[in-house]
Amino acid sequence: MREELPFYRRFLHRLGGLTRRQLRFTLMLVGASWGVVREASRPTSWRRTVIYEFKSTLRQSAGGGLFSTLFTAALTGFGIVAQAIYWLGIAGMADTTDSLLATVLVREIAPVLVGIILLGRSAMLSLTQLGQLTIGGELRALQAQGIDPFLTLVMPRALATMLASFTLGVVFSVIALSVGYGVCRLHAIITMPLWTFLYDIVGAMKPIDYIGIPLKLVLSGFLLSLATQLTGLDATRSDTLATLLPRGFARGIMVIMIVNVVLGVAVA
Amino acid sequence: MSDDLSAVLELREALPVFEESGLASIPYSLRLMPGDCLLIACRDPLRATRFADLCSGLTPLVSGHALCLGLDWEKLAETRAWALRGRIGRVMQQGAWIDLFGTDLNILVQQLHHTRTPTQDLVDEATALARRFGLPGLPSLAPGRLSKADRAKAACVRAFLGEPRLLLLEDPVEQENADMMTAFLAELTAARERGCGVIWFSREPELWHGYNAMGTQRFRLLDEGLMPMKQVV
Repeated sequence: MREELPFYRRFLHRLGGLTRRQLRFTLMLVGASWGVVREASRPTSWRRTVIYEFKSTLRQSAGGGLFSTLFTAALTGFGIVAQAIYWLGIAGMADTTDSLLATVLVREIAPVLVGIILLGRSAMLSLTQLGQLTIGGELRALQAQGIDPFLTLVMPRALATMLASFTLGVVFSVIALSVGYGVCRLHAIITMPLWTFLYDIVGAMKPIDYIGIPLKLVLSGFLLSLATQLTGLDATRSDTLATLLPRGFARGIMVIMIVNVVLGVAVA
Repeated sequence: MSDDLSAVLELREALPVFEESGLASIPYSLRLMPGDCLLIACRDPLRATRFADLCSGLTPLVSGHALCLGLDWEKLAETRAWALRGRIGRVMQQGAWIDLFGTDLNILVQQLHHTRTPTQDLVDEATALARRFGLPGLPSLAPGRLSKADRAKAACVRAFLGEPRLLLLEDPVEQENADMMTAFLAELTAARERGCGVIWFSREPELWHGYNAMGTQRFRLLDEGLMPMKQVV
């Protein structure tokens, strides 16, 4: 039958198929995001099982990711903040230090690094768990008990990761700046008190940053969690962890980068 | 015995979508009244699971109707369908346990989700039920670390917890754990006296040999559909 179609229709058929395949996951992500927002706004959604899952995910992602965040922030503070302060001082551009740190570290680096920490520590775990539940048929068993996996697992995990992303982002920024300050103070590169240093950086932030930075952290945590969970839920019988994990990782990184680039450009 | 005259479960020429269910695409009909028990012999556990899914409204239909407590699964709003499934107690063979949680949470999760009964009351009820089935208490180990016999007992605790209106039991008792038969039959009888409808699937119909309580019907689930079965006394 298909051979009877003229060339241009076969071309359009292939093009349409390719477009639908490529857009499928994006559309799923948009639909699931709306689903989470809609379900979360209903008081009846917040049942004991949902609250339990929310708390345990928050503990796992924010509590469990805290040490990794502190360590990464300390390294960033040592490697980027201290170096920036030192070299800008040498170049006689010490006045631009505050705005540079606010722009580069707080607005650009913190959301990306926190997103990567969350991806590795929490989102991949979620992907593995949901993938195994889907492949093993346990999700079907949950449905048979009248428990909607989207409500009980996906929604609380996405919201908890979103909250964890914001929390860890703030912790990361404060620690990175503080460690950078400490290193410079130790070498007598700067002499001002810590509070003045932090106050100057806060002062160098534009009003739009007070929307843009939290929005980056919140959105990247939310979409990262949803993207990896949907990858797990979308697993088929032919999938194994060897196929799911790289797919989930690639989607997670893609989400972090797209959110940061788009918001970086849109809310600059 | 309940005075409710509407069927707990009714299949009216329900023709499942083959691609979704894996069940033979033929119309199924049955009527299960409160307190009634259907014993269904089925050699293939997967087929029994799929039929139980059909009864739980998890399988879309090409035609016909599947009703639970007088409510048509296909016409029911999604949230109400989830709530109605919360009134069904199930012993499942496929993917029954979630290893992310302990067995205790696996047992309690349905009641925690669908009811506002205080958690301690649920734990007390589940513990009492577990003891009646021969467990020392509510098991807290991961399901994968329990013995097969203990998992079968825990599955029964989960199914009978919360006074369900319909019980779909896939091989709840097998030859190797037949020691729990007395406790199982006691709970089954109590549930039926409360007006709960029961479908008991078994690969080993000889296990029903002594079970001849009033209101019990026997069927075979075959490729050709649901066939009445002669009672062997």
